[in-house]
Amino acid sequence: MTILDYLAAQGGRLLGLTIEHAILVLVSVTISTIIGVTLGVLTYRTERPRRTALAITGIFLTIPSFALFGLLVAPLGLGATPAVIALVMYGLLPIVRNTITGLRSVDPAIVESAQGMGMGRYRRLLRIELPLAWPIILTGVRVAAVIIVGIAAVAAVVNGPGLGKDIFRALARVGTPTAVPQAVSAVLGIIAIAILIDFFFMIVARLTTSRGIRA
Amino acid sequence: MALSGQPVADADLNPGALVAGGTDLFRGRRASAMGYLGLPIVLAAVCGILFLWLGTQDLGSIERRSLNFERISTAFVEHMALAFVSTIFVIAIAVPLGVLLTRPAARPIVPPVIAVANIGQAVPSIGVLVILALIWTIGFWPAIVALVAYSILPVLRNTMVGLQQVDQPTIEAARGMGMTKRAVLQKIELPLAVPVILAGVRTALVINVGTATLATFVNAGGLGDIIQGGLVSNRQTVVLAGSVLTAALALFIDHIGGIAETRLSPKGL
Repeated sequence: MTILDYLAAQGGRLLGLTIEHAILVLVSVTISTIIGVTLGVLTYRTERPRRTALAITGIFLTIPSFALFGLLVAPLGLGATPAVIALVMYGLLPIVRNTITGLRSVDPAIVESAQGMGMGRYRRLLRIELPLAWPIILTGVRVAAVIIVGIAAVAAVVNGPGLGKDIFRALARVGTPTAVPQAVSAVLGIIAIAILIDFFFMIVARLTTSRGIRA
Repeated sequence: MALSGQPVADADLNPGALVAGGTDLFRGRRASAMGYLGLPIVLAAVCGILFLWLGTQDLGSIERRSLNFERISTAFVEHMALAFVSTIFVIAIAVPLGVLLTRPAARPIVPPVIAVANIGQAVPSIGVLVILALIWTIGFWPAIVALVAYSILPVLRNTMVGLQQVDQPTIEAARGMGMTKRAVLQKIELPLAVPVILAGVRTALVINVGTATLATFVNAGGLGDIIQGGLVSNRQTVVLAGSVLTAALALFIDHIGGIAETRLSPKGL
């Protein structure tokens, strides 16, 4: 059975799993971005909290995915919940790091002139610092998304959703004619999602970058 | 931490951007004893607590079969063999390849190689493992091939970046002193690139320790065996114990990698 025969027979189901996978990634990246940017904003100005935030999110990313899923299954049980929490944890480091780098790379002279114009701390952050740091933050989110797309395939071991299910099903069917096309098509689906994400972020970067700093 | 890389301002050059600078929670002041021992002490304490907790649990026969010293030490040795053998292959392949790709003659083929490598990064590690198991065989060697394929990029990229960032006037001065191109490469370019290359090797090693956990699905052993055994037999204690041990090992290896990175870099840098 060639991969084309397989796609003809199973295309609809594969599309369903791909959408499931993409939703898992989208939900995880969104939560990760909210937590990560908040952490970055809270810690970028002081040395110790900043180092601690980077070290702890770094530890999350060092823990092997299978082990992290295993650690979360004990308190949370199988299913989508441990999958989303683990993926959120994996996405944090690039987002926190780039938020901190982005905010720290804003020219202090600009921030001071904003202060001189009478802007308060929050308006400075929202109107000046975050917009100037945004392209770097967005890059962090994109890196997080690409990491998460791949690791999401492992979520199937804890009965999580997504294309990983088909990879493990194919493995269980080793030796049958459908095994190889099933695994290959699931991997291709994941690559397709990664490429779409890259494309998506390119457009978002263009639309949301402040006009003054657009290249 | 190793997996994550320099801040990626320029995403197009460095989309995966995984480099060093994070788990070093205890290593702010590098020379201090606390810097070297802080993380190992915490990890040892966590493993000690796990051991004591297991002692208070009422373990059934399944738990006893998966959580005895022999089982765990076998899994540990298998895990280390997978991680280290694959990392040695990665160094043996990626460093020479990186040197070749940074020679002027190779300039036209660099962009396609980078493009392929970047798409390759989107391929999930479990997918590579399973496809190799399906079309080839199960066991140690397909796992090694998958690990190598998955972790080669950081070393290749860091070798190229490390060589490219060597100051051009330094190279010209060496050439002007009459050194051959080969001597410049061996005595000037490679030593100056070593810190960056080592950062890539540390990243690859940490990726390999992590991915080796998945080797259990292709019958190549490792600590993943214990976690998977617990999942299959629905024993949460076993899943938790296996996961804690695996996570502690990965953090420890990353820590050792960080120390090696500092120690092995040439003194002058």
